[in-house]
Order: sequence, then C-alpha cells, then structure tokens
Amino acid sequence: MSIIEVKNLVKIYDNRRVLDGINLKIEKGETMVIMGGSGCGKSTLLKILIGQLKPDDGQVYIDEDEIIHMTDRELDVVRRKFGMLYQGGALLNSLTLAENVALPLKEHTKLDKRIIDIIVKMKLAQVGLVGFEDKMPAEISGGMKKRAALARAIALDPHIVFYDEPGAGLDPIVAAVIDKLIMDLSKKLGMTSVVVTHEMQSAFRIADKMAVLFKGRVIELGTPDQIKNSNNPYVQQFVTGSLEAASISAKDSTEEYIKSLVEGT
Amino acid sequence: MRNFLGSLGKPTLIFFRHLGSIWKIFMQTLYWIFIAPFKGQMLKPGAVFAQMNLIGVGSVPIVALVNFFFGITLAMLTSYQLKQVGTQELMAGLVGVSFTRELGPFLAAVVVASRVGSAITAEIGTMTVSEEVDALETMALKPVRFLVVPRLLALVIMLPCLTIVANCVGMLGGYVIGRFNLHLNSAYYLKLTFDYLVLKDIGTGLLKSFAFAIVIAMIGCYQGLTVSGGSAGVGISTTKSVVQSIMFIIIIDCLFNAWFYFV
Repeated sequence: MSIIEVKNLVKIYDNRRVLDGINLKIEKGETMVIMGGSGCGKSTLLKILIGQLKPDDGQVYIDEDEIIHMTDRELDVVRRKFGMLYQGGALLNSLTLAENVALPLKEHTKLDKRIIDIIVKMKLAQVGLVGFEDKMPAEISGGMKKRAALARAIALDPHIVFYDEPGAGLDPIVAAVIDKLIMDLSKKLGMTSVVVTHEMQSAFRIADKMAVLFKGRVIELGTPDQIKNSNNPYVQQFVTGSLEAASISAKDSTEEYIKSLVEGT
Repeated sequence: MRNFLGSLGKPTLIFFRHLGSIWKIFMQTLYWIFIAPFKGQMLKPGAVFAQMNLIGVGSVPIVALVNFFFGITLAMLTSYQLKQVGTQELMAGLVGVSFTRELGPFLAAVVVASRVGSAITAEIGTMTVSEEVDALETMALKPVRFLVVPRLLALVIMLPCLTIVANCVGMLGGYVIGRFNLHLNSAYYLKLTFDYLVLKDIGTGLLKSFAFAIVIAMIGCYQGLTVSGGSAGVGISTTKSVVQSIMFIIIIDCLFNAWFYFV
C-alpha cells in the first residue's frame, strides 16, 4: 500500500465544494508536488493530510492508518511520523533556534539533554545553520528561518515531510537552496515529501510526481515530463503561466479564472 | 416582533457558543493542571515563573499607582460627606472595608485585564496568525498545555497577590488624607481601620480576585487562539479580550457580592 492514500476527499465551505472527490496515492520515498492556482483547494488538502481539518467525506490513509476518524490522541501518534514545514517557518519566536529544534525531542522522547543537544547540532548542520543555535527567530533572515523550521520538522526523523509553499517569499537562490535540501532529504534519507506550491521552476526541479488541482479536483497526475506535455489546456496554461492557452481564449480563460476566484466556484 | 426575537436570538446563540468553547478550553486546562501530571506529563514550572514575572511583578507599579490615587480620592470624598455629620474619623474604616471587599480586587483585576489580558491575546493571536499554534499541534504538542496553562496558573497566583498590594496601597492613600488633612495620629488611624475590618472582608476580596484571574486568563487565551484575519484580526481580538474581561469581571463581582452579603 502507498504511504499516503487519499480516497474521494470532499470538503465543503458555505455550499462550495473546495475539494470535490480527490483521489491520490503517494509512494514511499517519492516527492509529490501538488500544484494549482489560488483557491483551488491545495492548502485545504494539505490541512486535511496533516489532520488539522476534517473533510466532509472521504478517507486519508497515512502509513496504512486511516486518520479522519481518529481521536485526537490517536492522531498525535500519527503526527509523530511526519514533519511539517509551514510557509513562514512558524518557529516559536520566544525560543532560540536550538530550543525550537529541541522542542519535539524534549516532549516526545526520553533522551538525555546532552544527546538532545548533539541531535540538535546535527539537524542544524544538516540545513547549514551551524553556529546559529543561540539566535532568536527574529534575528535571522526568511531563508534561514525556513531552514531552521526544516531542521525542527525532521528532528524526530519522520517518514514523511509536508511542505507548504517552501519557496514563497524567498529570492531564487535561497529558494533553490531549500529545494536542494528537500531533494537531499528525499534521496539520501528516503523521506517521502509532499510539497504544495505554485512555483513552477521549483516544482519541476524537485518533483518525482505532480498533481495539478483545479476547482477542487485533480485534473492531471503524472511525472514532470507528463505534466509538461499534458493536453489539458488548464494544465498547459498553468505550467507556461500564459494568459492564453491553446484551447481557451485569453478573454475566456482569464475571465473564467477571475470569476472562479471571486465567486469561489 | 418575530424580527425582533430573531435579532436577539442570533447574538445569544453566538454568545453561548463562545461561552461553550471557553468552557471546553478551561476543562482542558484543568486536565493539564490536575490530571496530566499523574500520567507523567508534568507542568512546566519555568514557563509558569516566567509568566508570573511578566504578569505579576510587572503589574505591581501600575496597580499600586492606581490604587494609591483611588484611596486618596475615596478618602477625600467620604470625609467631605462625613464632615457634615461630624463623623470624619469613620473615613478610615470605610476606606479599609471598601478596598478589601470591593475596590482592591476590582481595580487590580481591571488594571491586569487591560495590561495583561490584552498582552496575552496579542501574543497568542500573533502566534495563531503566524501558524505557530498550528505548528505546535502538528508536532503533537497541545497549545492549551503550552500556552494556556502557564498563563492561567500565573494569573491565579499573582492576581490575589496584586489584590493584597492594591488593598494596602489603597488604605495608604486613605491614611495620607487622614494624617495630613484630618490630622489623625498614625496609630489611631490604624486602630480605626482595623476596628471595622473583619476577616470575611479580606477573604471574600481574595476569593473574587481568584475568580477574576480565571476570567482574564480564559478570555485572553480564547480570543488569542481564535484570531482570524491576520494582524487586523489580532487588533480586533485584543480589544474584544479587554472589553469582555472587564464586562465579566463586573458581572461576576456583582454575583459574588450578592452571594456574600445579600443572600
């Protein structure tokens, strides 16, 4: 069985089907990139995958455990199997970088403080932040914050890491550094990565597989090459970032897109 | 009529929904304080002491200042009124009883709600909008345990202490008027104060401050945890937190007074 499996996922907000029957399988060690325009439902999908939101229908299996109907306590056990990198890093501002990385280790393991210190140093070294242990999150740049947050996400050596817009708000070089880290974790440590993004360059660089979401549905699923050569006009338009797609006039496509954003259809 | 009832019904439902959510968080907080330690998940004394320092020690100057001037004002107004019947000396007992029963706990709670309740909502609210609270949840760490428990404990320990400070400083304000305006001897002023004070006055005042501390902590944390709408939302929730805390402090104060002295 796949390490993550999503079956017929439906989420409705105010009579609007934000997710409309999503089916997805993610294999162990794979980097799956979930793409789509604003309001397509990709953030909602990610929130459901990490157990932060309950869907109206459907199932989500993580490591063969169905998480939707789990109690909070059961979900906490599953949560220890994965890490999550938030868009802004979400480091606790009142703690130093080392304390942030040490937090899950202190709370979920019975390791000695000295061992935790060593693991923290190793994790920070893995993301290139040696010597920054005592810095507060407010004292470092956006890229460094994301790297520190990644160190925290992998502190417990999870099987799966979820990434929410890892390159957002970063310059292209720093974004490339984050992409390299994601690839390293996946290739060298065999971690499964699920990346939600709308940045094409980054998506094609790191993906083993890609899923394109539109109006709450997966409209294309495949390898980066398959996505690039997709016949779906929306996928083409999304990948090339053009106002005009092969089968949709600029007027129709942009107006339809704006309408979908405004009306949320 | 139907429209009128309808317009009343919706806010009432929303009010009880919020009250239900606050109650739920309060129950979770009690679980982490009283039950979880027996299951090996200990309290974090470091976090509690840090909050006690921020909440309690940091509030001493402002609580003292407000109560000192209120003590002077109360003494001036009551002695002016009592002068007409020639019983100005009774002012000492009146100030003492007023502060221990009502003004000390009430003013300390209002100052703390404004200073600390707003800070709690702003801090937790900022953590909510910057996804720090979500990150705690995703790391299987309970936000109630990390954020609410230390603040509630710090408040229920420190607000009664601040109330004692408020009582003493308020009576000191009364003494200033008694000594320098009414020319009463210090020992005589103290005797007049303690003649009218009974233990019940001090006890009920402290019990009220304990309840006020729970109100400030729970409303402050709840408003912070439920912030939506980015930085503007933090501002709105912070205002709500202070207004609701003061409103509930007044209501609870009234209920306690009815219970202690009328029923």
